[in-house]
Amino acid sequence: MIYLDHAAATPMSDKVLASMRSYFAEDFFNPSAAYLPAKKVAADYEAAKATIAHAIGGKSHDLVITAGATEANNLALSSILYGGFRKSVTRGLSEVTTENEGANPATAGMSDPSRANAFLNPPILYLATEHDSVRRVAEHCGGEPIRVDRYGRIDLADLQAKITDSTELISVALVNGELGTIQPLSEIAAIIREVRLDRLRRGVRTKLLLHSDASQALTLLDVSVARLGVDLLTLNAAKIYGPKGVGALYVSHEVRLAPQIYGGGQEQGLRSGTENVPGVIGFATAVKEAKAHLNGNRKKYAHFREILLRNLRGCEIINRKHSLDNFVNICYNGIDGERLVFLLEEREIYVATGAACAASKGEKSHVLKALGLTDSEIAGSLRLTLGETNSEEQIIAAAKIINEVVTKEYERIQNG
Amino acid sequence: MASTNDWAGDATWGTPAPACVGEHVAAGPANVSPAGSAKTKVFVGMSGGVDSSVSAMLLKEQGYDVTGIYMKNWSQDLPGMKCPWAEDLADAKRVAVKLSIPFEVWDFEDAYREKVVEYMLREFKTGNTPNPDIMCNEEIKFKLFYETAMKRGADFIATGHYARVRQENIAGVPHANLLRAVDENKDQTYFLYRISEEALAHTLFPIGDMLKPDVKKLAEARRLHNAYKKESMGVCFVGEVGMKDFLKEYIDIQPGEIREAETEKVLGMHEGAVFYTIGQRHGLYLSGEKGAVNSGLPYYVVRKDLENNIVYVSRNLNHSAIWTKGLALKDIIFRAGPAQNILVRLRHRAPLIPATLQGDTLYFDTEIKRPASGQSAVFYDGEVCLGGGVIV
Repeated sequence: MIYLDHAAATPMSDKVLASMRSYFAEDFFNPSAAYLPAKKVAADYEAAKATIAHAIGGKSHDLVITAGATEANNLALSSILYGGFRKSVTRGLSEVTTENEGANPATAGMSDPSRANAFLNPPILYLATEHDSVRRVAEHCGGEPIRVDRYGRIDLADLQAKITDSTELISVALVNGELGTIQPLSEIAAIIREVRLDRLRRGVRTKLLLHSDASQALTLLDVSVARLGVDLLTLNAAKIYGPKGVGALYVSHEVRLAPQIYGGGQEQGLRSGTENVPGVIGFATAVKEAKAHLNGNRKKYAHFREILLRNLRGCEIINRKHSLDNFVNICYNGIDGERLVFLLEEREIYVATGAACAASKGEKSHVLKALGLTDSEIAGSLRLTLGETNSEEQIIAAAKIINEVVTKEYERIQNG
Repeated sequence: MASTNDWAGDATWGTPAPACVGEHVAAGPANVSPAGSAKTKVFVGMSGGVDSSVSAMLLKEQGYDVTGIYMKNWSQDLPGMKCPWAEDLADAKRVAVKLSIPFEVWDFEDAYREKVVEYMLREFKTGNTPNPDIMCNEEIKFKLFYETAMKRGADFIATGHYARVRQENIAGVPHANLLRAVDENKDQTYFLYRISEEALAHTLFPIGDMLKPDVKKLAEARRLHNAYKKESMGVCFVGEVGMKDFLKEYIDIQPGEIREAETEKVLGMHEGAVFYTIGQRHGLYLSGEKGAVNSGLPYYVVRKDLENNIVYVSRNLNHSAIWTKGLALKDIIFRAGPAQNILVRLRHRAPLIPATLQGDTLYFDTEIKRPASGQSAVFYDGEVCLGGGVIV
């Protein structure tokens, strides 16, 4: 088997698995319980959170642990808009907002379909290539996409043009999950700082926050919330060789969120539910490992990418620039990428088309569309994402087999 | 509301079953090129299920020129239910790629909505319990799909239904008979009795002479991933959530009274009369005082007054609305016959009951539980499907 879909899922490392093991059946106690063994579990949990927080330059209490990045993104976006904390609203449609404060944005949008359209100046700006866990929330709450260039990088001029006094939150993933595109977050943050200053001068009291989904980033980027200039940052264990179903939202001090899930008041009251102790322990181990191997990973994947691109024949490279080295997006014009996935599956090579999610929904990848690719280019696209399971020999072998399969497909098309 | 069994079974052309070719074809279409000839062009409906996947595989192995077609009949999600069409399509395509056969998606959504969904809603509104799978076979799979395939140069179409075709010459006139499947448990002729003879004469059912467990085993042996796929039940586009939720989206439903048939006494409220089927026992929200109303015997629906939105129930298990010796039919069609003493199937997988057809009415020797109006009664003579009609 040659697994080339590490952006979809990563196997847990031995270290991660070993670190989690005792918390399932031995140290199983509820961290909220009063007796000593439970207190010890609570301490381990807090230490693990601190490890994760430190890795991005934050503190333990800045993190809200969630059941994955999707939930973290939802919490980040919707809470900003519907949190009951906001008293003064300067945007034009304050009455609509007030009415819905505290309401779940998803259901609010559904019960009143006109609501999303009611925002002439939408409160959320998001990158056109964002994951659906950002796009769908933004669509419900009133959001406008920001354009990207042909490599998937943010069009900063478009961003600046779209910021109005109603804009409250800008969401731009640090690394795009489909293309690996790295966004210039600090440049975006600089623009946002200017806008904030300008608002202060003019007495406009609407906040403007920057959210970023960094789910794919930790294995190859040194992420620091201060350097990036973000107010909210989404993390995900499942993409960095940690367990699935665990994520976190970093929330800076100035930001007040409203919970999406109510209950026992865990995670500073922002995300109730008994703590996922083994998950967070595993998450912390994965974060530590990612940090430790950062430099080695960079060299390794740059090398792998280079080999892969040197050996693959007859394809266009989609993410030629500004992308993490473990993302290789290619396109075979005139070929059906989905067929390639099935044909490669026969040879035990596992790859993705445009986006695995998009494929199972029968929709064309909105990410590739945003890049301006034609329908046939999108149809012929493959996403190869490299990772820990790969060796140099595997990369060479995979390139060879992909070439064979593609050649056969072209022959089949010509003969058919 | 009607038991889901009323719709279960055909599972759409969603659980396509392999057609029985092979030796069957010997008795097969005499007027076309011989089975397995590379020149014999077959378009096989592939739903992504194991039955149609194995069908396509068998046809390919028998040497036909096979093209896989995914019929896109419905793709709309409804609140709380995700339409599985894209996954089904991907499953079908994966098999086609594995078999190295051409594969296409044919979009029949407009026709399906018009011919199947609208028919179904119309029937429900008039108080009937329609069978959309029968309609889908008649109008979509064995009409639109068949005609489109023929225009594209097909010699045959094929589906994964559990049924068989036998070609005969009666006084020099070729005739295609619809035969029950070898797997009596899976026989789907109940859903096929209305398809045109012309289409049937050009249809292959590659798994019609196989048993379902053998179909699954074959799929596993050939490493078709569909072998592990959960079988879809009910009308494809309604999926798991069920007809009731679907109807709520499309029909304006008002709550109304449930009354006792004998006394006109109001026993409780219902969610909407269309959800109830005569003879039905479950789902009655009776709210009477304990011991007075809800004691002892269960209630059965015996009549629906759609005009006043009243559902009548009775504790009389022998109520004439529930039991009958005669069943009036409409829209009767004969595929073969005529036969006076016939076997009748009143729902998919129900036992065959002897009956006599006189005019438009079926007579039974003993009383039967009356099926919902709008469902079909299908006639058989031994293994041959003679036709059927819609229960009035």
